[in-house]
Amino acid sequence: MNKISLIIQREYLSRVRKKTFIITTLLFPLLYLGLIFGTSYLSEKAGTKLKIAIIDSSGSFTQQRIDKANKDYPGSTLTLLHEDPAVLARTFDQKGFDGYLVIPANTMVDHAPDNLVVRSKKTLGTVSDVQSKLNTIWNEIKYEDLGIDAQKQQLLTQSKLQIKSENTENKTTDASLAYGIGFVSGFLIYFILIIYGAQVMMGVMEEKTNRIAEIIVSSVKPFQLMIGKIIGIACVALTQFLLWIAFIFIIYNATRAGSGALNNSALTGAVGGIQKLFTDTNVPAILLFFVFYFLGGFFFYSSIYAAVGSTVNEDMREAQSLSFPITMIIIFGFFIMMTAAKDPGSPLAVWGSIIPFTSPLVMMARIPYGVPGTVPYWQLALSMAVLVASFLFVTWFAGKIYRTGILMYGKKPTWKEMIRWAVRK
Amino acid sequence: MDLLQVAHLKKYFATQKAVDDISFSISQGQIFGLLGPNGAGKTTLIRMITGIFYPDAGTITLDGAPFDPVNDIGKIGYMPEERGLYKKMKIGEQALYLAQLKGLRKKDAIESLKTWFAKLEMDSWWNKKVEDLSKGMQQKLQFVTTVLHQPKLIILDEPFSGLDPVNSNLIKDEIFNLAKSGSTIIFSTHRMEQVEEICDHIILVNKGQKILDGTVQGVKQEFKEHLYNITFASAPPQTEAAGLFDIKQTTANGLILQKHPEVSNNQVLSHFLAHGASIDSFNEILPTLNDIFIRKVEGTPLARQFQTIQD
Repeated sequence: MNKISLIIQREYLSRVRKKTFIITTLLFPLLYLGLIFGTSYLSEKAGTKLKIAIIDSSGSFTQQRIDKANKDYPGSTLTLLHEDPAVLARTFDQKGFDGYLVIPANTMVDHAPDNLVVRSKKTLGTVSDVQSKLNTIWNEIKYEDLGIDAQKQQLLTQSKLQIKSENTENKTTDASLAYGIGFVSGFLIYFILIIYGAQVMMGVMEEKTNRIAEIIVSSVKPFQLMIGKIIGIACVALTQFLLWIAFIFIIYNATRAGSGALNNSALTGAVGGIQKLFTDTNVPAILLFFVFYFLGGFFFYSSIYAAVGSTVNEDMREAQSLSFPITMIIIFGFFIMMTAAKDPGSPLAVWGSIIPFTSPLVMMARIPYGVPGTVPYWQLALSMAVLVASFLFVTWFAGKIYRTGILMYGKKPTWKEMIRWAVRK
Repeated sequence: MDLLQVAHLKKYFATQKAVDDISFSISQGQIFGLLGPNGAGKTTLIRMITGIFYPDAGTITLDGAPFDPVNDIGKIGYMPEERGLYKKMKIGEQALYLAQLKGLRKKDAIESLKTWFAKLEMDSWWNKKVEDLSKGMQQKLQFVTTVLHQPKLIILDEPFSGLDPVNSNLIKDEIFNLAKSGSTIIFSTHRMEQVEEICDHIILVNKGQKILDGTVQGVKQEFKEHLYNITFASAPPQTEAAGLFDIKQTTANGLILQKHPEVSNNQVLSHFLAHGASIDSFNEILPTLNDIFIRKVEGTPLARQFQTIQD
């Protein structure tokens, strides 16, 4: 036991002290936030702005209404022209327009034209923002025509049926919040399995190619070396994860203190979300499950990665070709997790959360929806028991392969040979 | 007393009998040479003695008790042929880590590391990384980590490869010191001149089997061809052997002759004296271990052939 703890210490300290660990720990949340805000910012700002000429033969689309719509909504600009459509068809591009649209003369509230066309000399792609702008004008025309005053307009637009789902067992669960937590936990586990699983594999390969493995296994059992490495790296991953949680707390407290001064809608939205998260959910329980599934999944996959790392030589390509199927299974689990986060009760989600290959990802997507409401106790117990049993088995099995592989040099073994190593006493 | 006894040890792999019924024993304080061509099964044998492999059959007795891989690890120091160190780790930490894995307490380990580092002029290395060291320096570090925990049995596989003569001698002296202070040393190498210089006892392994076992002098006697070198003050006398010996080679002022086994040295000398020759020197030419090695191993295929094993 003492020797395993020495190995754990070395694996842990040698990684945590590295500059790359500190940098990735700091940069990942920044990059992630940057990605979220950046993409929403970009999609808002970077859409093409079109200049569209409008020829209105109906007389309803007045200069005043078009000016108001241009002013109220950014995006494409509409310009009312009084020209002959046939002339404009030839000259609109010389006048600086991207396209033109003709509203027919018989356009009336009870006779809406069914397909208006923006004509252009190039392919414009979607013209949804032109459509929505014209529709706001069209709404005003409708209201005026039907004699609906401002008060009634407000009633019309705001009175809607709001439908939400409610879990009668656990009233505090909010589906969209559960989706968010489930997705984020599943994603984090996925991320840690891929990144740190690869680290286990690389660590084993390093020891093998450095030939230090032989020295170490003359002091400790190969299994101790393998398990020490896995636990050490798991601790690194946990440390990183806890640091991120600490960041969230700090950001949360900092922003709550200064939230009055904030007017960035995206940021206040995020802060509101986090506030809701802490008030509405059972954070300790979810964290506990997260740590369990994270560790279970990590032991399960990283011992396979360790076995793979022990069988290959210096060649990275060998390692990649052998580890590819494992990575594929994790990615497959990620996709099941995404559907499970949306629909936690579907058979795919239920089975995915029990089978150990996918359960660490999928179960974490289901748990935030509520236990035992969405996830009955038997499913949770079965999933946890199966995961524990299978990681014990896989670690034992991988240990057998590892024991032989770590001292074998030369030709890459076949799967058949590896299984023989494992079965042999 | 025998520190290590190996009896009928066997290890078969899928396509090879790596070690096929080998027995030998080493007494305490001996420097024991384990010789053999490439692929003879030396490494497999060593790995069984260090507890890395379990033997398929046979027994290992260490220090009077059956070898227990888990608890006897601290009694053994093993330096494999392929050296290995963590490249990115600091040297002091690395040596400390390896010592602690051997069961040394941190305080003791630091203390004895300091002594060894001072002895081998490595004081300034503590905070350097392994990747900053030359191959020979890494070798010295590896040697220190092997012997640091004062093992009773030290197994060195090609310990001098990559070392310059000065550092070779430094390590060689340390090996002698260790043996003098009671450690038993197994020394595995292809370099026969080092074996002659260092070892007391040798075994020769080929194709998984022991083909030679004895002291260095004993083996040489066993393989001697009764060759003698005789030199004269003047040109060698032209004389017939007269049933005493055959002349193998004539040099400027000497002869190399092969004595018939039943003939005594005095008879040979009197023969020359009777011919009025003035003898400068007369000495036996014993075969070098290199010759013996080649003679024993020659004729067997250079690389081991794969064979099918029926368990």
